[in-house]
Amino acid sequence: MARITGIYTASHTPVMLNFPDRIPAHLRDEIFSAYAAMGADFMAGKPDVLVVLSNDHLHNFFLNNFPAFCIGCAESYESPIEHWLHAKRRTFAGDQAFGAFLLQRALKAEFDPAFSMEMVLDHGSLTPLELAGMDPDMPVVPVLINCVQPPMPTMRRSYNLGRFLGEAIAAYDGVERVAILATGGISHDIATPRMGMVNEEFDQTFLGLLESGEIDGTIQYATDFVHTAGNGCEEIRMWMAAMGAANGARYERTYYRAVHDWYTGIGIGRFAV
Amino acid sequence: MANWQEAMPSTRAYLMDKVLYQLHHNADHLEAYKADPDAYLARFDLPEDLARTIKENDVARMYLSGVNPYLLRAHCIGVRIPEDVSLAALRSLLDSKDYNNG
Repeated sequence: MARITGIYTASHTPVMLNFPDRIPAHLRDEIFSAYAAMGADFMAGKPDVLVVLSNDHLHNFFLNNFPAFCIGCAESYESPIEHWLHAKRRTFAGDQAFGAFLLQRALKAEFDPAFSMEMVLDHGSLTPLELAGMDPDMPVVPVLINCVQPPMPTMRRSYNLGRFLGEAIAAYDGVERVAILATGGISHDIATPRMGMVNEEFDQTFLGLLESGEIDGTIQYATDFVHTAGNGCEEIRMWMAAMGAANGARYERTYYRAVHDWYTGIGIGRFAV
Repeated sequence: MANWQEAMPSTRAYLMDKVLYQLHHNADHLEAYKADPDAYLARFDLPEDLARTIKENDVARMYLSGVNPYLLRAHCIGVRIPEDVSLAALRSLLDSKDYNNG
């Protein structure tokens, strides 16, 4: 019976690594410190494995074959895949048995995720892990949600997937301690006319709802207003899944700032599991 | 404005997506494209106006084709269109003050 040691949510953007100098040094330091603090908190829980909820940005998947959900069942994952990303190449260890357990249990629970035995993790998974300074040898199980190409799974379905994951992790005997990191969001536009116009009002309302513990209200707000906060904000599906896995645990934001020159509302927080 | 131009991608968008995807996921493609854009683009069964849009780095028209924004973004960085040029091209399409009212 595995215990969930922590559930974290954090934005990701390749701009942090590619164009760090587009924002003032003091702001950059503040943001990087917030990621490092999350990493320290994460490591204090002494997890054996990390389940990373993220999204593929059309690297592993293309429109010829695009899964709504995909569970990684590989022995290892190379990263990053983007030839243009300013990041050191690295290989993450996978946990094939754990991935396979989640996959099979998901099918029994009438979710129908795809699976992959060979994926390359992109900046969505890599950036927050890199900035948080997490143990580079910790095995990961990626769970990817399509947030990048309509049509996409609903916010509620993503929440329900998270609820399933929380229960399935608790039922797993192969490891003792599991942490969850949900990456992506909050408000941002990628390659649209609004790019750089962060909708801070959306982000504040969204974070406030998460902190209030109103699960249905949060799902409804995400569903009804995500279109005001940019195509990148569709990635809050991972936050929905984290909320599902948290199963009512209190949410607390540890950092938020609308960073226009990084095009992103940068939010970091955790569920007090 | 909405987050997406197309709730389901059109064939035109798909064709554009395919070029940008291939270009940045195959080791020798970017070099081949840079060496001879016309020859590279001729490998794809693209409408002529879409091929021209790619060749001219016309970010605004690429966006309007319905191309996936992540592929467009990766392409802009990958072929080194200056960040401020691609931003300005996209921003030139913003025609409404109530941009975040959907």
